This record gives sequence, structure tokens and C-alpha cells, in this order.
Amino acid sequence: MGEAIIKVDNLVKSFGDHEVLKKIDFEIEKGEVVCIIGSSGSGKSTLLRCINHLETPTSGVVKFHDVEVRNTQRSLSKYRSEVGMVFQSFNLFNNMTVLKNCMFGTRRILHLSKEESWKRAIRCLKQVGMAAYINARPSQLSGGQKQRVAIARALCMEPEVLLFDEPTSALDPEMVGEVLKCMKELAEKGLTMIIVTHEMEFAKNVSTRTIFMDDGYVVEDESPDVLFVNPKSPRTREFLSRYMEAKGA
Amino acid sequence: MYGAMVLADLATPDATSGIWDWSYYLAQKYAGMFFQATLMTLAVAVLGTLIGFLLGFLVGLVNTTKIQKEDFILKKIFFVILKGIVMIYVEVFRDTPMIVQGMVIYYGLRQNDIMISTFAAGVLVTVLNTGAYMGETVRGGINSVDAGQEEGALAMGMSHFRAMIHVILPQALKNVIPEMGNTFVNNLKMTSVLNVIGVSELFLAAKTAGGTYYKYYESYIVISVIYFILCFVFNRIFALIEKKLKGREDYELATEYLDGE
Repeated sequence: MGEAIIKVDNLVKSFGDHEVLKKIDFEIEKGEVVCIIGSSGSGKSTLLRCINHLETPTSGVVKFHDVEVRNTQRSLSKYRSEVGMVFQSFNLFNNMTVLKNCMFGTRRILHLSKEESWKRAIRCLKQVGMAAYINARPSQLSGGQKQRVAIARALCMEPEVLLFDEPTSALDPEMVGEVLKCMKELAEKGLTMIIVTHEMEFAKNVSTRTIFMDDGYVVEDESPDVLFVNPKSPRTREFLSRYMEAKGA
Repeated sequence: MYGAMVLADLATPDATSGIWDWSYYLAQKYAGMFFQATLMTLAVAVLGTLIGFLLGFLVGLVNTTKIQKEDFILKKIFFVILKGIVMIYVEVFRDTPMIVQGMVIYYGLRQNDIMISTFAAGVLVTVLNTGAYMGETVRGGINSVDAGQEEGALAMGMSHFRAMIHVILPQALKNVIPEMGNTFVNNLKMTSVLNVIGVSELFLAAKTAGGTYYKYYESYIVISVIYFILCFVFNRIFALIEKKLKGREDYELATEYLDGE
């Protein structure tokens, strides 16, 4: 057992009276690729957003290398620059070109030199096959291209962990493949990732661990071989069979 | 028209002369005054719009700042008070006529021994008026930027403030530039009410020129033409700027990176 990079202790998140996350415990070690699955409203995206404090947890702590992430700008900025995030809706900066999007964080937050920042941007964009588009603006790209640029932008920060919040859910079906292929390559290179997804095949094939969430609880946290083939909980079984039915139809 | 040209070169028109003869005569005779008044109108409108716009941005920023539950208590109190002040300011200036604001500010200040010049008072009234209206526009401009833009910036490690400066405001500014043009042209026309506090802009010039010969109608025709030309030209300029801001539709493919992809 290695040391946990991110550790979530007793995490509770409520919106008003509605408790979305109910005492979540969870940790991730270096090199793990954790997929979080579950139906809509199960709290999986909220968990991911709590991990990087885009949602402030109602109670409980998130620890990064055993140090509690505090809710101060300085602490958050440092932490978030080491834990990247890829969003469902891409969130590329619309007022910048692809290249500027990728250079922004390394220039402004990591304070790298222009050359170094440029080299990283080109390298990361090449990795996702988008280097030819450095002069394009986000509005000129397809959804799949945008998401690949968003991944490159996150990679430029050289994060220890990369969080993916349903990265393919907003894409046209024919573009899902190119993004998943990108992510698979990153997993093979050993990048630590937490991925909230509805892509069961991807979770089954790529993740080292799969978490099934339901109604704000972590129901099952297993290797994908066990979870997909022989789930322990009836709720997991029900979810997976419903999914298989939908797919068969 | 031909008659007018000939007559105008002659002496003062008489009782039998038409409107155009008189207008042309007044325009010529008081060309210097009308020119000065045009400059004054432009100066008040330009300064009033620019500074008013900055004020509007501050108002918009304050109005879009959300007070978070977990914020430090002093920060909360500060923002509650600030938001209160901004709200009162905006309401007062939106709910009273500019002509009255001019009187209240100019005479109010002078009565309290602040010897403000008519020009400064004119600019001040225009600034405060513009700020109150632009605040709403800027708020709309900021709110129309997708919330994901800020989240993208925050998730990278940026603060709310820096996300505003580098990501949100540049996009909001682009959204409000058309409205900025409208406001400027509107201010060009609204400066006319400042004649009541004695700002020597176009309206006051027309009143003065018309008064000498008792030819008000003709005199106002002259400044109508000047206002029209000013507004027409600036509307065209802003339309051009707006078009430029849209930017190019295409982009250059960096073909040197196409290999191996």
C-alpha cells in the first residue's frame, strides 16, 4: 500500500435540506485510475467538485498528501494547480486562442518562462493531437476537439491528479471515441486520474478501481473485474443490468 | 437653395427672408461660437461616457459579487454596506431626470461653498448618470459570460479576482461595447439639458444666437444639423468597431504540427 495522494474523510455535502453526499470516505494513490459510476443524482459529480473544493464541503475534510485543504485562497490555489480538472462543458477560455488557453496557467500561476510555457503547451497539444490548431479559438472547434484541448490545458500544469467530470457527456456520439482514446493513453502513461463517467466499457477496460455511487453513498469500491462481473451489492447489480438493457435496446 | 447662397453673402436677411436664409446666416455669423459649443458638447460627452463607464464597471462588479456564507465576517459587512450604497446611488440617478440632477448638483455644491465650474458640474452629472445605467449593462454583460469560464479558471488555481480580470471581464467588455456606443451617442444629445446650469454647449449657443435676432426656430435648425451629423458619424464609427471586434471567422492551421497526428 502506497501513500494516498488525496484522502477524503467523512465528507458531507448538503444543498439546503438536501443531503447529496453522506459521509464519504475515499482515497486515491499514485498511478490509480478510479472511475466513479452511478445514475444521475447519485452525487458522483458533487464528490468530484468537492475534491477540488469547487463545492465547499458541508463537513468533513479533503487531504492532499496528508495535509488538510483549507478554504483560503492561498491554500486552494496551490492545491488546485496540482490537481487538474476537465469539465463536461470544456470551459475553455473563449477570449483566448488554443495556444493561449494552454499557456495561461503555466505563465500566470506557475510563473514559467515564456519559452518553457510554450514548449509545454506544444508538447501537451501534440499529445492530444491538437497542436495544429494553436491559432484557433474555442468557438471554431468541434466538441471533441475542445475537450482534447481542455485535457492538454490541464496537462500543461503537470498535475499529480487529473479529475474528469463526465468528459464525454456533452459530446456527439462520433466524438466520444477520440476523447476516450486520449484518456486511455494518459492512463497507460501512469497518470493518476479520477473519472466520473457514464462510459461503462471505458470504466471496465481502463480503470484500476471502480466506485459505484448511489444516493450519496459509496456502495461499492472494487477492481473493475469484480465490480462489473460479480457485483456484491444488489443495487450495483440492478444499475448494471439496467445499463446493459438500455445498451442492448 | 440658389437664392439662399446669394442672399447669405449679402447683408443681414430681412423680414421677407425665409427660414433657410436665416439659418444659414446665423450659422455663418456665429460659426466660431457654434464650433466652440460643438467641442464643449463633445468634451462633456466623451469625458462623461469614459469616466461614467469606469464607474459603471465598478457598479457592475459590486452587483455581481456574491457574498459567500463562509466569507470572513468583516468582508461580509463591507460588501453589505457597499452594495447598499451602490443600490441607493443607482436608484436615485435612474429615477430622477438628468436636468434636475444638474440643478441639484450644481447649485447644491455652490451653496455649500464648493465653487465647481459649470463644465465640471456638467461632466459630473453625465458621469453619475452614465454610471447608474451602465452598471446594469455591465452586470448583464458579466452574467452573460458562462459560469463555466470562471470555474475553468478557478480549477486551475486562479483567484476569483484574477479570473475576473483575465477571463470574465474581457468577455463581458466585448458584450457591452455595442451598448457603450449607444450610451455615448445618447450622452451627446443629453448634454443639451446642461444648458440650464450654463454649460456653453450647443443648446446654449443656439439660445444665444437665436436671441440676438429673435430667430429661435432658425437657430435650433442649425444645431439640429450639427447634432445629427455628430450622432450619425459616431453611430457609423461604433458599428465599424463592433464589426472589427467580431474578429476573423477563420484561423490558420499550424501545418508544421500536422505530421504524425
